[in-house]
Amino acid sequence: MTKYVLNRLIRGILSVAVMLVIVMVMIFTLMDRQLIFAADPVFSKRTNNAKTTYQYSKWEEYGYLDYVTYADYLTQLTKSGEIDEATRADAVKLGRTPEKDSALTKEYVEKFTQYYTAKGYAVTRLDTVMNGRKVANGGQAALFAAKDKPIWDRAIHYFTGILEFDNIHYVQEDIGERKLTFTLYDPMYGGEKFSPAIMGNGTYHKYLLYFDSKFPYIHQNFLTLHLGKSFVVNQGIDVFDTMTASQGAYIPTQITYPTGLTEQSADDLHTATYVPGSLQAGEVLYGTRYTDDYTQTSTFKGGMSKMGYSFLFGVLSVILAYLIGLPLGVWMALKADKLVDKIGTFYIVFITAVPSLSYIFMVKTIGYALKIPTTFDLESTNKMMYLLPIISLAMPSIARLMRWMRRYMIDQKNSDYVKFARSNGLTEGEIFSKHIMRNAVVPIVQGIPASVLFSLVGAFYTERVYAIPGTGGLMVTAIQTYDNNVIVGICLFYGLLSVVSLILGDVMMAAVDPRISFNTKAR
Amino acid sequence: MKKETINLDQFGMSEEELFSLHPNNESEAEKITAPRYSYWKSVFRVFFRKKINIFVLVLLVFVIVFAFVYPPLSGYDEFANLMDSTAKHLTPAAAMEKFGRNIHWCLGTGASGNSTFDAVWAGARISIALALVCALINMVVGVIVGALWGYSKRADKIMLEVYNVVGNIPYQLLCSVLVLIFRPKFWTMVFALTITGWLAIAHFFRTQVLIIRDREYNLASRCLGTPTLRIATKNLLPFLTSIIVTQAAVEIPSYISMEVFLSFIGLGLTDTTLGKLITNAQSAMLTPGWEMEFWSPVVLASIIAIVLYVAGQNLGDASDPRSHMM
Repeated sequence: MTKYVLNRLIRGILSVAVMLVIVMVMIFTLMDRQLIFAADPVFSKRTNNAKTTYQYSKWEEYGYLDYVTYADYLTQLTKSGEIDEATRADAVKLGRTPEKDSALTKEYVEKFTQYYTAKGYAVTRLDTVMNGRKVANGGQAALFAAKDKPIWDRAIHYFTGILEFDNIHYVQEDIGERKLTFTLYDPMYGGEKFSPAIMGNGTYHKYLLYFDSKFPYIHQNFLTLHLGKSFVVNQGIDVFDTMTASQGAYIPTQITYPTGLTEQSADDLHTATYVPGSLQAGEVLYGTRYTDDYTQTSTFKGGMSKMGYSFLFGVLSVILAYLIGLPLGVWMALKADKLVDKIGTFYIVFITAVPSLSYIFMVKTIGYALKIPTTFDLESTNKMMYLLPIISLAMPSIARLMRWMRRYMIDQKNSDYVKFARSNGLTEGEIFSKHIMRNAVVPIVQGIPASVLFSLVGAFYTERVYAIPGTGGLMVTAIQTYDNNVIVGICLFYGLLSVVSLILGDVMMAAVDPRISFNTKAR
Repeated sequence: MKKETINLDQFGMSEEELFSLHPNNESEAEKITAPRYSYWKSVFRVFFRKKINIFVLVLLVFVIVFAFVYPPLSGYDEFANLMDSTAKHLTPAAAMEKFGRNIHWCLGTGASGNSTFDAVWAGARISIALALVCALINMVVGVIVGALWGYSKRADKIMLEVYNVVGNIPYQLLCSVLVLIFRPKFWTMVFALTITGWLAIAHFFRTQVLIIRDREYNLASRCLGTPTLRIATKNLLPFLTSIIVTQAAVEIPSYISMEVFLSFIGLGLTDTTLGKLITNAQSAMLTPGWEMEFWSPVVLASIIAIVLYVAGQNLGDASDPRSHMM
C-alpha cells in the first residue's frame, strides 16, 4: 500500500506540474492581453507613443514578456563601465525619425538593435508624433525591444523558484562576517529567558529557527515557499503569505530590540528580513531600535489567517454536515416512502433547485430575526457569530449526504445477503449496524478527506455574505484582475490539495472495505 | 388424524368429466413455470405505484411540451414594445389594463416592455434543451468511461492523471478562454458545459465501480475469460442502475444553474434563456413592483428542477430490480 501511495503521489505531483504549464499557456498566450487595461485609468489617459510604452511596461510587470527600452540598455552599459556618463547622456537623445539621429545615437541604436535582435527580441522604433510644430502629448520618440517569455523558460523559472533555501551568501552587499550563530537565550526576549534560536548574518531572514508562543511553537526560515507574487491585489506579496498571514488588531508585547531598547510593540522581530540600506534610510525610526539592515518585520495580530478562518468554518461545517446528514439519510432509507422520507426529499430538492445565494440570504434573514450576529467581526469574541455561516455552509453538504446515504442504504437493504441474514435470525439492529451500514458507508468515506481538505479553499458566497476574511474569493479576484502569478500559485495549491485528497480518499476506502485492493497486478 | 373422504357423486358429473387423460407433452414439460418478468415493465409498475409520480410525470410532460410549443405560437419579440416607455416594468394588473386581458400579460412586463410570461417560456425552451443535451452527453460519456476507469487498473493509472490535470484547471479560466475562441451559440454552450463536465461524473462512477470490482462474481467472470468491456457493461453497470438514475436526477437541474453562471461571465447565449433572464433581472429582485421579473424565471427553473429531480429519484428507486419482488 505504501508503495502504491508513494507512486500515486509522485505521479500526481507531475500531473499538477503539467496542469500548471497548461494554465500558464492559457493565461499568457490564449487570453487577450489587452483586457488588463480595461479598468486601468492611467492607460486611458495616456496617448500616442506613451500609451504604447505604458502598455509594454505593464505587460512586463504582469509577466507576459521581457521588455527593454533603449535608455535602460544605455544605463546598463554605463553601469558595466563600457561607456561613460557623458556618452550615455548624448546617445540617449533620439531624433524625431531614425534619419534625424546624431551619429553617436545612430551607432548605439545600431548596437542595441543588433544585440536584441540576436537574442530573439522584436525591436520597435516609434517616431515622434507631431501636433503642428510641437511634439504632441505623449508623442516622444521611443525605441524598445520586447520578447514574449517562452513557456518553457517561464515554467522552469517558476518551478525552480517555488522552494527557496536561505543561505549566508544571500546578501550581496558587504555585511561583515557571514555566519550562522546558535544561541540558547533568544535576544528578543531580553537575553535571559531560555529560548534556543539560530540566527544568521548574510542570510535573508535574521532568525532561521526560533520558538515562540504561536502554534506550532517552533518555526523555521531555512526554507521559504513561493507560490507566486501578486501584482494587483496584494502588490509584491506572495499569495501563500496572503493566505497564511494573521489578521486583525495588533497585539503588543514586551520585546527587546537589537539595540537593547525594550518597549511594548507588536513587531515580530523573529520575522526580520534584510532590506539593503534600510537602517540608514529609516534613521529616525530604526536608529534607536536596530543595529543592522534586518529591519523589515511583520506584526503580531490577534486574528487567524485567511486560510485559518476558511479552514475553521469549513471543518466545523463538514463535521456538522456529517453529524446531521448521515443519520438523516439513514433514517430516510429506513422509513422509505413514509413522512420522514418525504420531508427529507423536499429538503434535498429545495437545496438542489434553489440557487445557493438565495438560501444563504434566507438563513441570514432568519438569523437576523432571531438576533444572532449576521456579520463576522474580527474583534468580537461572541461565539454566536460562527453559527449562521456554519449552517449556511453545511446546508448543501447535508442535502448531498442525505441523498447518497439514502440511495446506498436502500440499495443495500434490498440485497440478498440482508435477506439471508434476516432468515438466519439476526436481529434488525445487528443486520443494520454490522451489515448494511458497513457496506453503505464505503462510497461516503471516499469523499471525507476531500471535504476536509477543501475547507482550506474557502467558500465564495458564504464568506462574502457574512464578511468572513477567508480565502474564498482569492481565485475569483485573481482571475478578474488578471493577477497572473496568483492564478498560477493558487492553481498549484488547489492541485496539490486535490491530489492528496484523492489519494487519502482511496486509502480510507480500502481501509473500510477490505475487498477493495489497489495492490494486485495491473490488468 | 381423521381421514376425510369426499363423495364424488355430490358433483353430479360423469366419470369422463371428472377424470380425463391428459396427453403427455414432452416439450411442455421442459418449460419452467414462473411469472413472466420484463425488467422495464417492472420498473414502470413500481414507478407508477406511487401516485405522486403520475402527477410529477404529467407536470414534466406539460412543462416540456408547453416550453416547445408555446414560444413559436406566442411570437415572442423582446423588443416589440421597446419604444413605448409606458410599457416597461409593469405589474401584472397594470399590464393587463394596458394591453387587455390576455395570457401574455399575466406576469407583467420586463425592462424593455416585453411580456414576462412569454420571455420565461422562450427561455425555458432553450434551458431545458441545453440541460437535457448536456446531461445526456455527460452521463453517457461519464458512465462508460467511469466503468472502464474503475474496472481496469491500467486505465485507472492513466485516467487519474488526466483527472489531476484537467480537473484542476479553474473552470472560470477555461470559460474565459472559450469566450475568446467561440461565438456564444447553443452548441458552444454545450461544448463549454461538457468539455470537462463528464470527468467529474466519470470519477464518481469510478469510485462506485472500484467498490464492486473485486467481488467474487467479477472474479469468476474474469476467470472465465470475459472481456473487460463486457464485464463493464454486463456485470458492473446493471449493478449501478439506481445510482446512475439518481445522479442524472441531480445532473439535469444543475445545468440550469451552471447556465446562470456562464451568462454571468459573458459566455451566455444571445437568445433568451432562463439563466440570462435571472442574471438580467437581479437588480429587479429588490425593486418594489418589479419582483415578478426576477421570481418568474427563478420559479420556473425551480419547478423544472424539482420535477426532474423527483421523477429521477423515484425512477432510481424503481429501477433497482431488487425492489420489484415486493
